Amino acid sequence: MAQGLSSDPRVRTARGTDSGRIGAILAAIAFLASLYGLPLLRLAANRLVVGDPVFAEGNFGMEIHAAAGLVVAAVLIFGGRRANLGGAGAVTLLLTAVALLALGLGATAADLISGEPPAARASLAAGAWLAFAFLAVALAIAVARAGRSWLGPFSIGAVLLFLIVAGRAGAFDGLSLAVELRARRDTVLDAILQHALLSGGALVLGVLGAGLLALWRRGQGFVEMLVGGIQVVPAVALLGGLVALASGLLHAVPVLRAAGLSALGPFPALVGIAAYLLLPLWRGLRLALRAPDAATLDAATALGLTPGQVLARVRLPIGAPILIGALRVAAVQSIGLATLGALVGAGGLGQVVFDGMAQFAPDLILLGAIPVIGLSLAVESGLSRVERAVRRHAA
Amino acid sequence: MSRWRPILGPAAAGLVLMILSHPRVAQSLVGWLGEAPRRALGLDYLAALALHHLVLAGGGLVLVALAGLGLGIAATRDGGAPLRGGIDTLAAAAQAVPPVVVVALALPILGFGGPPTLLALLCYGVMPVLRGTVGALEAVPREAREAATAMGLTPLQILARVEMPLAAPAIVETLRTALVLAVSTAAVGALAGAATLGTPIVAGLQNQNMVPMVQGAAATAALAFLCDAAMLGLAALTRR
Repeated sequence: MAQGLSSDPRVRTARGTDSGRIGAILAAIAFLASLYGLPLLRLAANRLVVGDPVFAEGNFGMEIHAAAGLVVAAVLIFGGRRANLGGAGAVTLLLTAVALLALGLGATAADLISGEPPAARASLAAGAWLAFAFLAVALAIAVARAGRSWLGPFSIGAVLLFLIVAGRAGAFDGLSLAVELRARRDTVLDAILQHALLSGGALVLGVLGAGLLALWRRGQGFVEMLVGGIQVVPAVALLGGLVALASGLLHAVPVLRAAGLSALGPFPALVGIAAYLLLPLWRGLRLALRAPDAATLDAATALGLTPGQVLARVRLPIGAPILIGALRVAAVQSIGLATLGALVGAGGLGQVVFDGMAQFAPDLILLGAIPVIGLSLAVESGLSRVERAVRRHAA
Repeated sequence: MSRWRPILGPAAAGLVLMILSHPRVAQSLVGWLGEAPRRALGLDYLAALALHHLVLAGGGLVLVALAGLGLGIAATRDGGAPLRGGIDTLAAAAQAVPPVVVVALALPILGFGGPPTLLALLCYGVMPVLRGTVGALEAVPREAREAATAMGLTPLQILARVEMPLAAPAIVETLRTALVLAVSTAAVGALAGAATLGTPIVAGLQNQNMVPMVQGAAATAALAFLCDAAMLGLAALTRR
């Protein structure tokens, strides 16, 4: 710790009043307000009806109040001048608060349904979701102040590990979300895999398409109009149009049907998603290829490099951060758009969400939605880390 | 004349797609694709859906513009510095939640129809507009602001007479993207039971009924292109 303090260049974070501190105080106040002011759980007769609210007052054990105390303590530590030491301490306290809050909610949910008929459900209510959200905000601020790049992934990993271990031990069995997950574990895992394949496949297809479009030197004006125009078309309409086109294609060329293609399914979804990724990828590719200045290119040519070598050794390394940035934007879009793939029968997490909508079952919707959000955030933060690392390397 | 040229492409695309959504044209197109040309949606029903779609998307745009512009102006004032740091992070986080998911999550709380769609419009649209507004206002040259201060204008006058007029083209450009997003999200709202042009697409996909699906898809895309063209026109007017 001590050596980290002296070598850390971020003096800015050591100032007494900065935006991080104000943000942390606001997040803590909002956390306390949602914890004590809003219902934390809802107790319902079955999984389809909206239940009666259960508030923190009188219904919960010590865990909830301890979590609140830890958050207050963590924010008080922000007041200290040694921001990075305080940040690390605050991260520890906040992580403990997350664990206590989760355990408290699980224990109370189990208590609530123990005397009820088997169909009864205790689901997380607005107060609990908001409390977790504000805890996440406070954690993000604390991690930023601690000034250690590994602390963010470490915190997320710790929370995930805790949730899995405690979940295996049965700490959340009373919560409706866990009941729903137990009933459909295999479906959800399959859907996650399908979703990853769908968005990954569309990304590969998009990269290939953008590469081909960037190669067509004369037609760049037309390409710009085309990829810009696709962005205007709403995704639902594009998918519908592609299904119509695919069915026409299958009627015209029946061999394709024999080869296993069908008008509904992953085929139109892959093409549709990839079409939207063309704009960020094509734009990124063009900017990346233009990134080196004329003098650098002249020098490379003077050294006797062939055009292919110039591309591989000069243009691509210098343009790499831009390329990875474009890939990041496209990947996040791909994961979001893949949710709509279920509309044309491509499966994925969208199918879980649509099933939940059809049954009007909130926890089933969440079961599909949480992995989508988690996947996008993971890809976003992972690739932006790579982008920063490559940028530092190039500079 | 040249400043109207960017409008031609989207306007032409919109008109062609509008013709494609006509019952007769859609029926013969589907027949040509090899599917049974079943009953098409009537023009009056299609027009009613389009109107509702436009009202929903337009209402969403107004909410998004009010929230995005207001917060953007607040974040670029002298006291708003703490707000600015979080904007990019929040924008990235908001992007991670696709509109379908917002619509789905809001469904049990807000019920079927328009409200979950409006919420999705707000969630998805505010951050891009906010970021665009901050960018546009920050791009106003410092000299212009200093000159206005030297002339004795109050901060409010500087905002209204110097900053906003200079930032207007960029802000209109941001709102254009937001409107296209709103039209797209309103189509997704059909999944939550909102009566928009997405409704025949979703129903057609479920029932394997190709004609209404083609009509809905063409009409939705036509609406998006025409809205795009309208905003491009507005942009041409502000640029002068």
